[in-house]
Amino acid sequence: MTHQRWTSRSIGSRLQHGTFYLLIRTLGRRPAYVLLFFVVLWYTLRPMTRARSAPYLARRFPKAGRLQRLRHCFLLNWNFGLTLVDRAASGILGQISITASQDDEQALKTLLGEGHGLILLTGHFGCWQTSSAGLDGVKTPVHVLMHRAPDDIDRQHFEHAGTDAPFRIIDPCGYLGGSIEMLDALAKGHILGIMGDRTFGNDRNTVSFPFLGGDVRLPFSAYRLASVTGAPILVFFSSRIGPGQARHEVARIIRVPRGLGRTRENYLPYARQFALALEEMVKANPYQFFNFYDMWEN
Amino acid sequence: MDIKKQLKQTLINELNLEDLVPDDIDDGAPLFGDGLGLDSLDAVEIVVLVQRLYGVEIKDMDEGRRAFQSINALAEFITERRS
Repeated sequence: MTHQRWTSRSIGSRLQHGTFYLLIRTLGRRPAYVLLFFVVLWYTLRPMTRARSAPYLARRFPKAGRLQRLRHCFLLNWNFGLTLVDRAASGILGQISITASQDDEQALKTLLGEGHGLILLTGHFGCWQTSSAGLDGVKTPVHVLMHRAPDDIDRQHFEHAGTDAPFRIIDPCGYLGGSIEMLDALAKGHILGIMGDRTFGNDRNTVSFPFLGGDVRLPFSAYRLASVTGAPILVFFSSRIGPGQARHEVARIIRVPRGLGRTRENYLPYARQFALALEEMVKANPYQFFNFYDMWEN
Repeated sequence: MDIKKQLKQTLINELNLEDLVPDDIDDGAPLFGDGLGLDSLDAVEIVVLVQRLYGVEIKDMDEGRRAFQSINALAEFITERRS
């Protein structure tokens, strides 16, 4: 049974994207925010767009009435739009400011120093799309497990700048789901970025967890990779804290014992830690969770 | 024990293929998908096992594609790299 209910394809047209890119290039980021307001308003009024965020908003704001839910929908779309404008501005204008606490930076360096590679586990939260820009100072090659739909017109921040990706992309649609490349990256002591909140393909390598009052299916590939390689897992989230500003926060450090094998139940305690960390972030920042599909099984 | 039988026994033990004995595994059947039914994360375990037991690295997709075709192919890959 497959559980891929999401798509990475943008709902905007090529023309809409191009208009924003041109505006940012010629007038800067702030006029793009103004245009964004009207675009978000229009999308929020469209039932089809509202339906995409309805499952999440119903879970996050179960007591909200119709008007309140409309407001929540607008704010969610608005914040998503802001992160997209910021992402484009970071590529076109080079304007992005990413901060992290000294303790979190030190944690990253310490874990890398262990020599088993490092799995950076995050979710579709806040400014995840530009989070790799915050790793420039680490001086360790970064690999990211990422699939792009063939018809996706949305540009990554580095594509605006016309530069090579600051990380190597491993396609989960590649041979054996990119697993050999992921293993090789960790064996070399590199950083491997994985999204922990979306399943890809069938449900064999997934586990079910309570999340915002319902059950969602999450992948356990990161934890199994960690068990095989000894790589620590650093769970982090990138919150948008202002115009062109993001903050990276380490939410958990997960250590998976070696040799847990292929039994999915063995990974439940570790996957649960990620689910709890994500839920904490979503409760604290309700308009920065960007999974626009029905994640829930019940 | 010949290398193919050893490989099959190792896969059964390490991947907890509890219902199988080595003779159940066809030497020419694909390891992944319809054959033995292993998946991409099992491939990670096999890469590590092969390195640990035989000192042979499967470094990239091309090598993996070749080695993981079947038990025959994996045994041949290991034998070739060790010689």
